[in-house]
Amino acid sequence: MLILKNIKKNYQNLVAVDNLSFEVSDGEIFGLLGENGAGKTTTFRMIMGLLEPNNGTISLDGKKIDYSTIDKIGFVTEERSLLTKLTVKEQILYYGSLKGMSNSEILKKLDYWLDKFGIKDYENKKIKELSKGNQQKIQFISAVINEPKLLILDEPFTGLDPINVKMLKDAIYELKEKGTSIIFSSHQMEYIEEFCEKLVILVKGKTILEGYLEDIKNSYGIKKILLNVLDYDVEKLSKIKGVKTINKKRDYYEINIDNESVVDLIFKEIKKYKVLKFDAKKPTLNDIFIEKVGGYHE
Amino acid sequence: MNKKLRFLTKTSLLKKIKSKWFIGINILILIIIVGILNIDSIISFFGGDFSNNLEVVVIDKTEEVYDIFKANIDSSKEVLDSDNSIKIKKSNKSEKELKKKLDDKILIVLKSSPEEYLTAKVISKKKIDAIDYQLITSALSSTKYNYGLIKTNIDIEKLKMISSEMKIDRVVLDKDSKSAADNMDTIMGTVFPTIILPFFMLVIFLVQMIGSEIYEEKSSRSMEIIISSVSPKVHFISKIISSNLFAIIQGTLLISYGAIGLIVKNNISTSSSSSITSMFSTLWTTLVESGFVDKLYYIIPITLLLLLLSFFAYSLVAGILASMTVNMEDYQQIQTPIMLVSLLSYYLAIMAGVFDGSTFIKVLSYVPFISCLLSPALLVIEQISIVDVLISIAVLLIFNIFIFRHGMGIYKEGILNYSNEKVWSKFKKIIKNKN
Repeated sequence: MLILKNIKKNYQNLVAVDNLSFEVSDGEIFGLLGENGAGKTTTFRMIMGLLEPNNGTISLDGKKIDYSTIDKIGFVTEERSLLTKLTVKEQILYYGSLKGMSNSEILKKLDYWLDKFGIKDYENKKIKELSKGNQQKIQFISAVINEPKLLILDEPFTGLDPINVKMLKDAIYELKEKGTSIIFSSHQMEYIEEFCEKLVILVKGKTILEGYLEDIKNSYGIKKILLNVLDYDVEKLSKIKGVKTINKKRDYYEINIDNESVVDLIFKEIKKYKVLKFDAKKPTLNDIFIEKVGGYHE
Repeated sequence: MNKKLRFLTKTSLLKKIKSKWFIGINILILIIIVGILNIDSIISFFGGDFSNNLEVVVIDKTEEVYDIFKANIDSSKEVLDSDNSIKIKKSNKSEKELKKKLDDKILIVLKSSPEEYLTAKVISKKKIDAIDYQLITSALSSTKYNYGLIKTNIDIEKLKMISSEMKIDRVVLDKDSKSAADNMDTIMGTVFPTIILPFFMLVIFLVQMIGSEIYEEKSSRSMEIIISSVSPKVHFISKIISSNLFAIIQGTLLISYGAIGLIVKNNISTSSSSSITSMFSTLWTTLVESGFVDKLYYIIPITLLLLLLSFFAYSLVAGILASMTVNMEDYQQIQTPIMLVSLLSYYLAIMAGVFDGSTFIKVLSYVPFISCLLSPALLVIEQISIVDVLISIAVLLIFNIFIFRHGMGIYKEGILNYSNEKVWSKFKKIIKNKN
């Protein structure tokens, strides 16, 4: 289990991370969200022991993370951190050895992962000769070759097509099943929604939202109705108190509302007509993110 | 951690020496060194100057000096260490007649003169090669000298005794005074620059090697993965060790190339006077006569120690500077002062004798980066004592420890810094905070 307690990091006069606390249990996927410059990379670097926090503690399985425990952590950086002149095999042997593994152990695991990702033929190819998607797979393999206890994934799906995204998703679920704690960061909210049970949203180093995703969504209630009614002017609904905006989509209307009580008022109004679509939706994580983070820019 | 240090060092070293560029460049260096050492044979092979077949036609109007001149040409060839083949022929034809069919030949007309004893006219179609002309003039001068002796009836033995060099028994009572051995000038002028030249080359290799490797890891962001597995200290030490090992390997290779070049020269050279054995024998005699050989037992270990510590100093500074830069252009610029200091050290060492033991040059011999070449040079010509060299070693050692301790903070921050903004103030702050 990873525990961050009251972490603070300053760069001269700038507070990069301010009093950040969270826990990631074994086999749990945790989302760390924020805009660029919110403090995510600094947090990752502190977890990896690359930076020393000015305040607070970070522990993995009850031990302070240092160079004696670091071999249990895997890290997929946002930008590809591969030595492109090396072959796939050389690269994985290099990173695996740095994690204290033996060559035979590394090669056995490399064989498994290359096979799983369908790129076994690329073992002796130079990384610079691979496509971006395959380079990303190699980066992922280099991070999981040591079967990490904690895996940090910073934008792991960048540059991947849907088929490769699915492959990587399956791999992440496999690791979760094996009990790996995973911290996941992405600007693509649909991935966070799909993967993460718990999350933290950072703005300028400060935590503005944290908790279980389901609880957060529930606390927001229903904020949107997707509607398609025959022979009815949907714009009339704007007269109902609590209706904020009505947006025309391709074959339905999106009605943003203040709270759940408005759902009943709208339903009463349209039930006399032929309703083709009526979908009262909880906000997506994207909606919540825009609302929370956007609020800090106003 | 030692296992990881060993692994990183080994990987870094193997990466350098297994690269195609390393192999290619070393083959090129080998060819160049062997080529330079055998340039005379190469030129001769292509029918160049070194294999001139000179044909000299002599009109001896005195009817007395032709044989003397012919003998003097042979002895001048020996003195000038010339491989040229000269064919000398006496002719009874007139100057006018010979001039018409001169081609590549050289015509020499020897005439007696009441004032000069002997005068000569050297006629050629084209300009005569400088070495050939020197050979001819030297033989002509000797011929005139011999002819003069014959004509004036002076006793040759007596004249030799008068004109021979004065025998001087030199005694220096002050042991610390400057050695007057003339051969030392030869050593400082030829032997020493040749010995230290590879060091200068290795510094360039070292600085560029360590910089480009750190930059590559930094720019590819693989540094983040590496540093999350080993501490920056271990990473830095591995770079220092591997780069220095590389420099030592490259240095050994350069020496080997030199040896190969000399062996090749010995095997293909046709002239006995320029054989490698004779060359080394002459050099060794010079070294023994100068007293240089007697000093080797302490000059060699001291110089090696200074060189090794200087390699470390250069790699420490280059590594720290490389960690601070965010692109290759910045690193190229930042390494220029290191190169200039290294060049300064090289020239100061070559010209050490010129400074005549001034305090300024003595102080410079203590300065890290400069001391490695200047101190041994000054020690050889006895302008500084062994105590001064030990001071240089101590200063270099303290410098290395200081740079490592204070530079480590900069390195740790630098390798993860990707911004050029306020870079110097950032690093100034790191040093300040450390203090």
